[in-house]
Amino acid sequence: MIESNINFVVAAYAVTWIALLAYVIRLFRKGRLARAALSRVTRNDGGES
Amino acid sequence: MAIWPALASFGVLIAAQTYSILTSPAEGDMGHLQKIMYVHVPAAWMTFLCFFVVLLFSVRYLWKRRESDDLLAASAAEVGAVFNGLTLLLGMIWGRPAWGVWWAWDARLTSTLVLFLIFVGYLALRGFVDDPQQRARWSAGVGIIGAINVPLVYMSVTWWRTLHQPPSSPATLDPAYTMGLRLNAIALLFVMIYFIRTRYHIARTERAVEEAAQQAAMGATPR
Repeated sequence: MIESNINFVVAAYAVTWIALLAYVIRLFRKGRLARAALSRVTRNDGGES
Repeated sequence: MAIWPALASFGVLIAAQTYSILTSPAEGDMGHLQKIMYVHVPAAWMTFLCFFVVLLFSVRYLWKRRESDDLLAASAAEVGAVFNGLTLLLGMIWGRPAWGVWWAWDARLTSTLVLFLIFVGYLALRGFVDDPQQRARWSAGVGIIGAINVPLVYMSVTWWRTLHQPPSSPATLDPAYTMGLRLNAIALLFVMIYFIRTRYHIARTERAVEEAAQQAAMGATPR
């Protein structure tokens, strides 16, 4: 029983870290994409004016 | 985006988890399963805090009509959805060995699921509405109405007979476990602040892109 309980504890901490790190990676990707889009848009604006 | 705040907040979380896992004794009834509390309970607290931030900045948006308030509320809603989803998953992992079931439709679990669906609905709504002012107004309405569910979730274990035990807090815990719970809550608070702050900066950049695209579209419209 205790051994199987430890499996659930390991699963809980693994799920926690997977969720938090997945969200950080998502933030980094989203941030990079947003900055790239902004520089593209501002460059286009500069080209037109 | 600077990497050091991420490293610092996750470093504090690693330290808190290591301390609590190594120092807390196995609990009499649940054994080592009790250690899930150090991630499940703080994740639930962060969910409540996020929805409080959503409520606060939604009200402030309707009052002052400042775009930054809307973006902060939206950022907190996204982070809240992450913590709410995590709370549900961790509760299921705890429930299987403790109760013998992954899920039960009791008041605490169901109201927490409803809270998650409100967060998801809030984010979906923002994706559907193109006009920024209308999007901010509608989101603020959902944020305020959705916040009504937070006290319901918190009090559900007191108001109804549930499978879920009464709320865990340093006041109700054995002293052997209180320091671990406090440290993990503080560590996850740092992570939550880092997440909201970063998401807010991204939201501002996305908004600037949206504005530039709208201006370009208006400029390109034939007169």
